[in-house]
Amino acid sequence: MNTPTPGHLLRLLLIDDERAFLSSLSKLCKMRGIEPRTATTGEGGLAILERAPAHVVVLDVKMPGMGGIETLRQIKKKHPRTEVIFLTGHANTLDGVEGIKAGAFDYLSKPVEFDHLLKKIEQAFERRCMLEEQDRQAAFRAKMERQMLQHERLAALGTMAMGVAHEINNPTAIIHEAADWVRLLLKRKEMARIPLKAELERALEKIESGVERTKRITHQLLGEVKSPGPQAHEINMSELAQETVDAAATEAAKKGIRFRVVSDRGSPVIWSDPYQIRQILINLLTNAVQASSAGDEITLRLMPFPHGIRVSVKDQGQGIPRENLDKIFDPFFSTKSPGNGTGLGLYVARRVVEDLEGTIEVESLYGRGTEFSVRLPRRPGRKGERAGEDRVSDVQIEKGEEMR
Amino acid sequence: MTTMLKTSTHVLLVDDEKDFVEMLSLKLQEMAYKVTPAYSGEECLQALEQNNVAVVILDIKMPGLDGIETLREIKRRYPIVEVIMLTGHGTIETAVEGMKLGAFDYLLKPAEFDELLTKLQEAKKRKEEQEERIRKAEAQLLLKESRKRGRMPFEM
Repeated sequence: MNTPTPGHLLRLLLIDDERAFLSSLSKLCKMRGIEPRTATTGEGGLAILERAPAHVVVLDVKMPGMGGIETLRQIKKKHPRTEVIFLTGHANTLDGVEGIKAGAFDYLSKPVEFDHLLKKIEQAFERRCMLEEQDRQAAFRAKMERQMLQHERLAALGTMAMGVAHEINNPTAIIHEAADWVRLLLKRKEMARIPLKAELERALEKIESGVERTKRITHQLLGEVKSPGPQAHEINMSELAQETVDAAATEAAKKGIRFRVVSDRGSPVIWSDPYQIRQILINLLTNAVQASSAGDEITLRLMPFPHGIRVSVKDQGQGIPRENLDKIFDPFFSTKSPGNGTGLGLYVARRVVEDLEGTIEVESLYGRGTEFSVRLPRRPGRKGERAGEDRVSDVQIEKGEEMR
Repeated sequence: MTTMLKTSTHVLLVDDEKDFVEMLSLKLQEMAYKVTPAYSGEECLQALEQNNVAVVILDIKMPGLDGIETLREIKRRYPIVEVIMLTGHGTIETAVEGMKLGAFDYLLKPAEFDELLTKLQEAKKRKEEQEERIRKAEAQLLLKESRKRGRMPFEM
């Protein structure tokens, strides 16, 4: 930003009713590589800005029609980031002061020294760039803060959910044992012909399936990891992706939904835990199927990058309402009917992705579809290599926000 | 199912949840096991002193002397008693630690009864085999000692 301004980046607009002044200033600008646009009235200038914003505007105070001050106010109102250099009549400081009050970058008195004016234009552009950079940084900080808050909230929710799961597990085991005991009793010879035996058995089944459901929930919450810590295996992600798609295809076909697997160029091999990755993909595919309707297509895309791979699952379903986007990774957040979803699928997916040192993101356009992207490192445990990836993911998030 | 037991295996069931112990005991008794209940690690060790127990079913999470400490103590005092651990889902690490300390196996709570019965059978078998090996080794020892003294304990 403090380097000499590359003229072709600077979008400049000159507004002055003196055509002679405009054309000589334009020529000088072109000699420096700046292609200015020109207008001879305030209204004309505003119309040009409406079509394509400018970084810097040079504006004459005295014009027929809409005066300079009014034009300046309009510009600042509609394009607050546009810097305006105000040109006042000879020795008219009053106009200049009013211009600065209205938000002008600076003012120069006519007749102006062109070199001086050009320097001012560049200064204005630099300031504009600096402010933009500040905006970007502020947006980045705000995003990081949001992510941290989200992370903390999820961690707190997760801890609580796990505590609850632990507490529920013991009474569940008692119900399970008691129901099982009753079942054993019913198998006794002397119980063979008791009245309403079938009814008792039916009720037992309900208890058992309820226990099963509870068990599934506590399983998922407390992590049904077969071995401590993820085990690194060489995984061909193309094969793994195809395999999970095949596993989900029957269910999808029943609803008239097709799968498509797309692989971008690059090596799909990573070292990670295949079982965990399969679980992530199954969770995402199941959600996609549930969100889709007949005739829809679900695309699973593999995009290798130097230090890892990005896997995305994209559906053409109803999308996620904006207000829900922040909550979809929360434990127990679900929009499905009871029994159809525990509200743990995405929570678990996110937790597993983080265990594998990856990231998961969502982009959704309400009514048009949803895309989940999982980024996994080529080998976990190499923090240095992940910095590059993070940058990639920032770009992605910006894009995502635009999309919403 | 598994009712071909000749003599009933003596099982010590240790869990601080009394209702759980009661229900599981009834089920095991129904399958012809002899069950002694204990509601803490301390009670478990006492019970082992007074009974000839083959297999201990041990809950990992208990107040007081916890499962792992209890297991360590069982293995120190009664190395050939087999232990099957019952763990919650989040405590697989503890289960692994327990296996390293000499537990026979572990089951996730709530466990399927058939699975528990299978594990009990296997544990009992391993204990019997171990006892058999000890008996043979002792016989060898006896033989060696009697040879040293110049006479056979019995005709061969």
